[in-house]
Amino acid sequence: MDTIQQVLADVRRGMIPAHIYNDAEIFELEKERLFSRAWMFVGHESEIPQPGDYVVRRVLEDSFIISRDEQGTIRALFNMCLHRGMQVCRAEMGNASHFRCPYHGWSYRNDGRIIGLPFHKEAYGGEEGFARKGATLLPAPNLANYNGLLFVNMDPDAMPLDEYLGDFKFYLDYYTKQSASGIELRGPQRWRIKANWKIGVENFAGDMYHTPQTHTSVVEIGLFREPKAEKRKDGMTYWAGRGGGTTYKLPPGDLEERLAYIGYPPEMIERMKQLWSTDQLQLIGEDAFMISAASLFPNMSFVHNWPKVEEEGDEVVPFISLRMWQPVSENETEVMSWFAVDAEAPEEFKELSYKAYLMCFGSTGMFEQDDVENWVSLTNTAKGSMARRLLLNSRMGMLNDGTPVVPALTREEFSGAGSAYVGYSEHNQRNFLQEWADHLEKPPVVAPSHAVGITNGQLDQYSSKGA
Amino acid sequence: MAQLRPHANSSPLARHAPTTMRTGEALSFSDELHLEAHRWLVNESYLLDAQDYGTWLESIAHDVHYFMPVRVTTALGAGYSTSPGMAHWDENRYSLERRVARFQTEHAWTEDPPSRLRHFITNVRTFRTDVENEIAVDSAVLLFRSRGDVNEPSLISAGRDDLLRKVDGRWMLARRHILVDESVLRTQNLAIFL
Repeated sequence: MDTIQQVLADVRRGMIPAHIYNDAEIFELEKERLFSRAWMFVGHESEIPQPGDYVVRRVLEDSFIISRDEQGTIRALFNMCLHRGMQVCRAEMGNASHFRCPYHGWSYRNDGRIIGLPFHKEAYGGEEGFARKGATLLPAPNLANYNGLLFVNMDPDAMPLDEYLGDFKFYLDYYTKQSASGIELRGPQRWRIKANWKIGVENFAGDMYHTPQTHTSVVEIGLFREPKAEKRKDGMTYWAGRGGGTTYKLPPGDLEERLAYIGYPPEMIERMKQLWSTDQLQLIGEDAFMISAASLFPNMSFVHNWPKVEEEGDEVVPFISLRMWQPVSENETEVMSWFAVDAEAPEEFKELSYKAYLMCFGSTGMFEQDDVENWVSLTNTAKGSMARRLLLNSRMGMLNDGTPVVPALTREEFSGAGSAYVGYSEHNQRNFLQEWADHLEKPPVVAPSHAVGITNGQLDQYSSKGA
Repeated sequence: MAQLRPHANSSPLARHAPTTMRTGEALSFSDELHLEAHRWLVNESYLLDAQDYGTWLESIAHDVHYFMPVRVTTALGAGYSTSPGMAHWDENRYSLERRVARFQTEHAWTEDPPSRLRHFITNVRTFRTDVENEIAVDSAVLLFRSRGDVNEPSLISAGRDDLLRKVDGRWMLARRHILVDESVLRTQNLAIFL
């Protein structure tokens, strides 16, 4: 039986003990040391545009009400009544001025503050027994926003989101800031797959190698023209900050021609030109790379593709999708997949882009269907004793002595953030698992407990006064 | 029917879809139209079980809207139970054809080996509509899906609100609104049809 130190050492040299994809002990460590301190996506501002709007989202087992209060402030409130612990909101979405616990009728404003406590005077003796003033549903330890994306962090001492994202923000903007209004989200589609959460993250982060094999069928039916093997290997993969992704190499042309080639109308291109940095524009206009799939540590992924969705003509339409790989256990994951579109895009574009998303990704997506089949199978196989003896080779793109098969792109060839390599490799999967290994070595997060309704130092032992 | 109505026209892609409305009460179970509708649904379920999608497409109308919105849990009285603007399927004839064409390639790995499927169809009732030669048919479908040897099977339960149109003596599916009964699906993908 290998120790966790041996597992991490193997992972760090690109040799993956296969059982990490279906191992209850590893999953416990991930919960204790990784998900307890990573920034986790819970939703987007556009999902709760009006005061009182809310969605309920989980961070592993913890349920949070992501609510916009009457002043417009967005909050993440632990969905547990302060009295007996009942869920105060049992819907997934809606609009409410307050949440009332069905058990004993305690109620809370949509900013979390207690507004109603039945028989406060008779049952508790008023404020002296239960300090209602200032009592609020427990807020998430940290809530932060980038381009409208809302992230929660369970570690009270978490590093700021901005610092956590680091240079990945350079790429995040392509997906989430195509105009000053940002994106609007629809969905999510939710479904559960019998696969370990890490597999999808790694795939989206850098697996250009699977595209020509797994997704042969979508090229054959004329849905997508790009994934042919010879095209995919011309793209580069990048790793920047705490995320990485894949790209396609675009045909000759300038910035406008290349954005038009993948289906963006002139008015959207104009807004991108005004908003994106010189480097962000040059990555497309000069270097000819177009972002496709990506992952942000630990379990959020992105897609940007441009299929043909109408029978007539050869035009393609781009779509963007965001997703979470929400772990349920070591061998089950809830996929939450949103369609995202620039809020300022023309209505016709929004409709066709939605159509493009449905045809390609999500619960019915024709790309996605074949991916999940592979990941379920992998997870099953990783369960047994043989998987504990097998070190999977995840060293693609690197020779035995550690030198890369092809050198990293230079600043002349690549205007993007982070490091990038053209062609098939597993640099990104290794970067992801390196970050994973670093987290599993950290000590568990220590968080204070919150006592509710009492004033510090004034509480007496209930037994000392007797009954 | 109140249950199926709220989402009926909520798709942004439904502009070209038939807008036929049902009229009156459900037909008698001995009514010739009801018997034809029931027979059509049962025959269709055998095609879907066998994944004989080529034959299935022959009975899909050119202006079909095949739609399954995402269900969400909302408070009683919220007035909606589907995710605004989001569906699992929101298909026209072309996108259904692409899906079928993909299954007919040799590289649709997710169904190789194929699932063992059984569509159980029940609770069928039939209505006349405001368009001649078109009938509305409600049904409940329970899909049992088994993959591999010992994988846990999956179940999908849904209500369906169909519009059938008689064209050259044959009934064709012109509209199908599927109201799936789970918010979070417990199946690895929807590489099937309901």
